[in-house]
Amino acid sequence: MTGLDKFEKFNRKVSMAMEWVGLVAFILMMLITTVDVIGAKLFLLPVFGSLDMMMLAQLTAMTFSAAAALILGRHVQVEFFVLLLPRWVRTLVDCIVFFLGFVFFTIIVWRLFLYSYDLQIEGEVTPTARIPFYPFGYGAALACVPVCLVYLSLFTESFLKVLKR
Amino acid sequence: MSPETTGIAGIALLLFLFLLRMPVAFAMAFAGFIGFAYLSGIESAFTLLAHDIFETLSSYPLSVIPLFILMGSFAFASGISQRLYTTSYTWVGQLRGGLTVATVIACSGFAAICGSTAATAATMGKIALPEMKKYGYDDELATGTVAAAGTLGILIPPSTVLIVYGILTEESIGKLFVAGILPGFLLSLFFIATVIVLCLRNPDIGPPGPQTTWKQKLRATTGIIEAVLLFLLTIGGLFLGWFSPTQAGAIGAFGALAIGVMRRRLRLKIAIEAAKDGLRTACMVLFIITGATVFGHFLAISNIPFVLAEWVGGLPIPPIAVMAVMIFIYFIGGFFMDSMALIVVTIPIFFPVVMKLGFDPIWFGVIIVLVGEMGVITPPVGVNVFVIKGIAPDIPLRRIFRGILPFLVALIILTVLMTVFPKIATFLPGLIRY
Repeated sequence: MTGLDKFEKFNRKVSMAMEWVGLVAFILMMLITTVDVIGAKLFLLPVFGSLDMMMLAQLTAMTFSAAAALILGRHVQVEFFVLLLPRWVRTLVDCIVFFLGFVFFTIIVWRLFLYSYDLQIEGEVTPTARIPFYPFGYGAALACVPVCLVYLSLFTESFLKVLKR
Repeated sequence: MSPETTGIAGIALLLFLFLLRMPVAFAMAFAGFIGFAYLSGIESAFTLLAHDIFETLSSYPLSVIPLFILMGSFAFASGISQRLYTTSYTWVGQLRGGLTVATVIACSGFAAICGSTAATAATMGKIALPEMKKYGYDDELATGTVAAAGTLGILIPPSTVLIVYGILTEESIGKLFVAGILPGFLLSLFFIATVIVLCLRNPDIGPPGPQTTWKQKLRATTGIIEAVLLFLLTIGGLFLGWFSPTQAGAIGAFGALAIGVMRRRLRLKIAIEAAKDGLRTACMVLFIITGATVFGHFLAISNIPFVLAEWVGGLPIPPIAVMAVMIFIYFIGGFFMDSMALIVVTIPIFFPVVMKLGFDPIWFGVIIVLVGEMGVITPPVGVNVFVIKGIAPDIPLRRIFRGILPFLVALIILTVLMTVFPKIATFLPGLIRY
């Protein structure tokens, strides 16, 4: 097994593990709202801060599943043009796109950390339950790290193919 | 460069990135980020990027999307589709072309609890195609019917695409859902009429299935009670103002899960896999909206949508001609792009024009979903066709596409009818008082 294979395997493991965190948050979204609706409509007892919890659960669910969705090819792409190109041009195009993806997500991780730091310094909290935003911001930034790693791995793989040619 | 020229360059960059196969969500965010950095400075663009990602992904109004997707995933895994098919099969299967008619009816029923075309086509394809093969149905008729009827998933509420349209345009999701009911019903009838005409012209392509007794028919009908209840609870609750869209989605998801558990179809492992699948789809959709938010902010400071709306508004041609051009753009765009992505990309540009020309935004939402449905079944990126190909790998793509053609005509006829008679979409929403 080459170093690149090991790196890919590591990325997959980390991404799939993070997806479990996203899954728990996703199921929580359904449960919080269901309990809130039943509580509010039948017993006049809504869940305190349910909207706040929904917002934060959604942020967690989406960011923690981003890398798994990328690995499994779930992000929509326009396929028809690149498929018309010769194989080596396709590899070159992939190399450029994966590099852009890596750089872009590195910027996203960096800026999300800074944004979360601002939220922490300014003491930003959710409107009702007054839950601090910043831990979830740091969590979102951290959850985007595997996306960078996946892009780095894809870029390295296609770059090596280009070099070989 | 002026802001307008930068806007056009940004759109060109976006299209170029699409061609390079960068994921739609990331391409929109990237092009928007670069354009914003050019017009407002890199520091503003950095701040905008982090802010838009955090705010969009934690936006409460957007939580309606993951929840309705989860509802569809649980409904998909809990065997509701099988019972819907059995019921319609028992009622109409013995007629000539009856199995295809049953497929259309079952797809309409499943579309009422699932907002995805691919899920509707996949679930019905797995059930209906083997049955049609067993009774000697023509491959083109069988695959074309399932692929086309699967598109009902994004027209009949709950529709993921209509939810996204409602969020982007700030239109009522409840009204949009209700607006999709009548066109969805009509389209189902058109598809059934298409099957009947095809079978009348060539009776060999759709031989009748086995005869069923009234007792069997009535017994089979009890199997769809839960699907009807789930639809009435979620969409009815939304229509009557009992629930907000997010609440309706959560109740629907919980209801579909409960049905699956009670029917002993959703064991823990299957439920987890269904939820994971829903999560990945929801992640894809929400990232597209996040990308569109970043790109939309760039377009807003480039003034492109407003300049375009002013320019088109001042053209000496009737508004309906402009609308026809826009519909044609959606039709052609649907050949190359996923319908959801196409709508997300174009709405910030086209919606101000639609409003300027005085068209009903609810009607426009339904029209573009209808045109988007054509994209789902036309080459080269007809998602439903590839779903069907995955289920029936022995049938060549060429034959599936040929089987779809008559249904495409039905879709075009309904689009023309809706353009001539907008009331088809606006009548029911007009009854809602909120």
